[in-house]
Amino acid sequence: MSRIPRDYLINRLVTLVLTVLIAATIIWIIPRLSPVDPAEIALGRMAAGAGSVANSEEILAQLRANMGIDQPLIVQYLKYISGALVFDFGLSTAAFPTPVSTLILNALPWTMGLMILSLLITFFIGNLLGALMVWERSPKLVKVAIPAAMVFTSIPPILSGLLLMWIFAAKLQWFPLTGAYSIFVEPGWTWDFVTSVLHHGFLPALSIVVVTFGFWALGMRGLMITVQGEDYVKLAEAKGLRPRYILYRYMIRNAILPQITAFALKIGLLIAGQVLVERIFAYNGMGKLLYDAILNQDFPVIQGVSYVIILITALSVFLVDLLYPFIDPRIRHEANT
Amino acid sequence: MLDDVTKDKPVLTLEDLSIEFPTPAGVVQAVKALSLDIHKGRRVGFIGESGSGKTTTALAVMQMLAEPGRVSGGTIDLGGTNILELSEEEMRRARLSRVAYIPQGAMNSLNPVMRVEPQMWDGIIAHEGHLDRAELKRRSDAALASVGLPLHTADLYPHELSGGMKQRVCIAMGIILNPELIIADEPTSALDVVTQRQVMQTLKAIQTQIGSGLMLIGHDMGLMAQTVDELAVLKDGELVEHGTVRQILQAPAHPYTKDLISSVPLVGGESFLSPDARADAPKRTSSEPLLRFEDVRKDYGSVTALHPMSFTLQGDTPQIISIVGQSGSGKSTMGSIMLGFNPPSRGRVLFEGQDVAGMNAAQSLDFRKNVQAVFQDPYACFNPFYRVNHALKFPYKQFGLATSEAATQRAMEEACAAVGLDPELVLPRYPHQLSGGQRQRLIVARALMLSPKLLIADEPVSMVDASLRASILSNIYDLKDKYGISILYITHDLATAYHVSDYVMVLFKGHVVEAGPPKEVIGAPQHPYTRLLIDSIPWPELDRSWGDGRTDWDPANLEAEAARAEAIYRGTVPGFDLIEEAPHG
Amino acid sequence: MSTANMSRAERRQARRIRRFDNPWLNPKLIWGASLLFSIMIIGIVGRFLWDLDLVFTGSSPLKLPPLGFENLRGQPGVIAHPIGTDGGGRDMLAMVIIGAPNTLFVGLLASLIGMSIGIFLGFSAGFLGGRIDDTIRVGADVMITIPPLLILVVFQSAFGDVTLTMMALLIAGFVWQSPTRLIRAQVLSMKQSGYVQMAQLSGASTTHIMFREMMPNLVPYLFGSFIASVTTSIVTAVGLEVLGLGPQRIPTLGRTIYEAINAGALIQNLWWWWGIPTLLLGVIFIGLLLINLGLDEVSNPRLRRLS
Repeated sequence: MSRIPRDYLINRLVTLVLTVLIAATIIWIIPRLSPVDPAEIALGRMAAGAGSVANSEEILAQLRANMGIDQPLIVQYLKYISGALVFDFGLSTAAFPTPVSTLILNALPWTMGLMILSLLITFFIGNLLGALMVWERSPKLVKVAIPAAMVFTSIPPILSGLLLMWIFAAKLQWFPLTGAYSIFVEPGWTWDFVTSVLHHGFLPALSIVVVTFGFWALGMRGLMITVQGEDYVKLAEAKGLRPRYILYRYMIRNAILPQITAFALKIGLLIAGQVLVERIFAYNGMGKLLYDAILNQDFPVIQGVSYVIILITALSVFLVDLLYPFIDPRIRHEANT
Repeated sequence: MLDDVTKDKPVLTLEDLSIEFPTPAGVVQAVKALSLDIHKGRRVGFIGESGSGKTTTALAVMQMLAEPGRVSGGTIDLGGTNILELSEEEMRRARLSRVAYIPQGAMNSLNPVMRVEPQMWDGIIAHEGHLDRAELKRRSDAALASVGLPLHTADLYPHELSGGMKQRVCIAMGIILNPELIIADEPTSALDVVTQRQVMQTLKAIQTQIGSGLMLIGHDMGLMAQTVDELAVLKDGELVEHGTVRQILQAPAHPYTKDLISSVPLVGGESFLSPDARADAPKRTSSEPLLRFEDVRKDYGSVTALHPMSFTLQGDTPQIISIVGQSGSGKSTMGSIMLGFNPPSRGRVLFEGQDVAGMNAAQSLDFRKNVQAVFQDPYACFNPFYRVNHALKFPYKQFGLATSEAATQRAMEEACAAVGLDPELVLPRYPHQLSGGQRQRLIVARALMLSPKLLIADEPVSMVDASLRASILSNIYDLKDKYGISILYITHDLATAYHVSDYVMVLFKGHVVEAGPPKEVIGAPQHPYTRLLIDSIPWPELDRSWGDGRTDWDPANLEAEAARAEAIYRGTVPGFDLIEEAPHG
Repeated sequence: MSTANMSRAERRQARRIRRFDNPWLNPKLIWGASLLFSIMIIGIVGRFLWDLDLVFTGSSPLKLPPLGFENLRGQPGVIAHPIGTDGGGRDMLAMVIIGAPNTLFVGLLASLIGMSIGIFLGFSAGFLGGRIDDTIRVGADVMITIPPLLILVVFQSAFGDVTLTMMALLIAGFVWQSPTRLIRAQVLSMKQSGYVQMAQLSGASTTHIMFREMMPNLVPYLFGSFIASVTTSIVTAVGLEVLGLGPQRIPTLGRTIYEAINAGALIQNLWWWWGIPTLLLGVIFIGLLLINLGLDEVSNPRLRRLS
């Protein structure tokens, strides 16, 4: 990709690697600072299952060796980091001996599907509405109704999720209450399965969309007001261009640029919000996996899920950054000179 | 009144045009009963200060008045069409195809994310529908060629163009559909003087070629004199005088027109200053020279903004040393180096024998007290959070000049009065409540209160209204003349430098190219670059060939030639020694 | 034309413009502040008027609806528990009186700390430049992409129960990035501004320039940034609580929702159990948004014309 300036690329790559490394390290350090001993938790679970455990000291030592926590810290750290690079987080303690990576791999498509769908829809709708709020020729309804609706968009998706769930799933029963697909259909590329997935996914997606589009709309509104006053928009009008053309090619095209940067910065929070929505809808994604792991104190899974979500976030930011020079020619220029 | 113009039908007729802006304080009449014709092929200048209604009139012709402005009376007739009766869609079609607009802020007038070519094409497509690519290409290339731009400009993004190139692209866009009328709204206000001449020549040539009418809006009487056929003088929304440019320049009838003409500083001619008593410099305790540059050089990355320069300003008698040049010449870099804001890459700056870069706290405070500045932008110099007296009071106390609150107040009032401001009216205000001129005067008053030994004045009047420039400059001149402060005057304006300075240095690409007393350097320039600068200034002299549409006048060639020529030193003045640069090559 | 025969729309506009003479009298700002203020009033006044012991499990009958409603078992609401009780026999009103201020407290404390860190780092980066600036800039860029929720989930599942203050401190570790970036950018641009140069010429010290020249002009931005981090902090705190983390023994709005979902309150139609905390959180977030919109209009006059 010769059009992306090298310095820019290197800069972004360094940020990506640093982000992932720092996050992985924090995730690793935190449990080591904790007074809680994971081996004792495991022993406790065994004791709870078996009623009582004989020679617990030996078993504890054995458990520690299995978990690798009897080795020097630096060895543990290096093992962990090299494992994280190949998505090896060890075995789940709750669903022993399933590897954490298998659990994550099963949950990931659901989360990614929901994320791509809801984030992109939100970004698109939000920015379009924000632009229309400022545009002189948009229908009056847009200028009156949207700002009023905007007030509700400050609440996090988890709350809107609860509300939608109650109205449309519990009360009206239009949509299923929980899950990502009906337990009565076999997963596969069948009509039944796909409609079931869509049916189940609608409410979680909607609860994200209804409350986050406003964030983009508000941002876009501010940017459009600035762009509207720019000389190039005035000249476009003086050139007798068609209003709609000016809106798309001159105004939105320029106002959207900082929004894309904001998208990169906001992605982490949006994904976190989605994890919570998945949790309340018991959607088969990372959110549910994380919640179950928290309930079971399944530490490897908690670590793995957190790491993968942070990785997705960092990669998304990196992708947006890579895309940016293609939509803003000034970035290419700056770095080249 | 107008002799030889009525043979053609007018392309624009304004009849009793009135424009108003409703505001909370009542309705503001921006334009009052303005009547005027612009004929085919004629160039008509609209001159006046900001707020005189000249841009408002132009926007009314475009039907692009900003909310809540509206035409409250009269008619606008564009070549037989009453514009005020057109529907929105009809007006859109008339723009560009019948009346083209060339904007003021060429820097930001092009869409930053589109290449030049599609921005030229979309204008054609909006009026003639989708033509085939080859035809579009042929027409945009022809337009670019007609403004003297190379054809590869079409593939560039706006940020890859210089200011002059952007403005020429805007002209090319404007004429691409051969409009009947071109409105150019201060098209060169953001450009430096050499580029200004080139752009104006382009505009004149192309307008003559397509034979449209031109409405040129501006505030510079010199530029008008060199460009237009007729002149309309506007003041507070009223047309106070209208006639041919010759008629108005030779026999201005209205006092305001006379003011406008006399406010243009000329090289030679009468000075706008009235030198008073020659004051002595403040008693100096140091025998060291006031300011000394020792091989000072400044690099920004691989670009050298200032080549090694050495000079000594003795400072025993107050002097004004002018540093003139275009943007990018290194003159502002010199200013910030002198103020200690910008450490030189090599060499030393000595203030009274003390290296500015290595001062202790006490020396630094002394340096600050004695070296003050007036900057270009009077809007930015005041902290919007405080009343303007903060800017005067704070340094006065900081430097230990204040004996009591009452004494400070008195000093501020005296300083205001000395620069022609009413202290009671001005001091308790917030910066946004004052005009640019008032603010710049306050900054001069501030310098006066602190009575430094040296003042750096960096383009002090380039952002204030033309009619105020002379009086603010004479305020600054008084600092030397009455209060004995030595001044380094950094400017692009050779005419004012000619009048105020004792010594002039012309800077070009970080080198001094010509230096000496102003009568020599500016009055009779020898270096090709100085000559280029002086030739480019539009003076209100009608018989000078400034912008006669010559296409062989190419500043790029002239600059290249100037870069090859050796520096020329035109004599010295006592108290200032410039070390001559060794001849290059 | 005089003021007398201006049209109605013009007069309305005139009134609107006049109101901007004092930008702080912004309707959005006032509405937002009143919403938050009323939540605090509930918390403060409630403590004196209501028996807070009702917040303990089993202190009240189970699953009573608010006054004027009936639950699925046909029990009506009673005056002793005007907004009902939850599945653990706790009085909702007592829960709200304690929980709502707790939620606000976490948000405010976390952002206060985060802002202080941000101001310190932002000014340091902007003024000191060089390596320090690079480090702070990259650090903020890196930390801004890491979702705080995930790190905090790891932390709390490793450490178990935390106090409210501890949770606020942890969240504060993730809300300093935006203010840092904002202040750094503002400081860098202000450093070039005419009035800062003038202050330098006036022999002003660095502290004077920072706190007397720059800080006052930063205030609208700082406020805006503060409100935004309060929102982020509360969202994060509620997120943790809904995952069953956060303080285990102190009532918070998020924890109440968590318990409601776990007990199947949605299917059992115990809407007041999760609905009342949701409503209060909604009020808090709307209040914060209104304040932020108001502040935007204060610092960016161009926005005022539109709404």
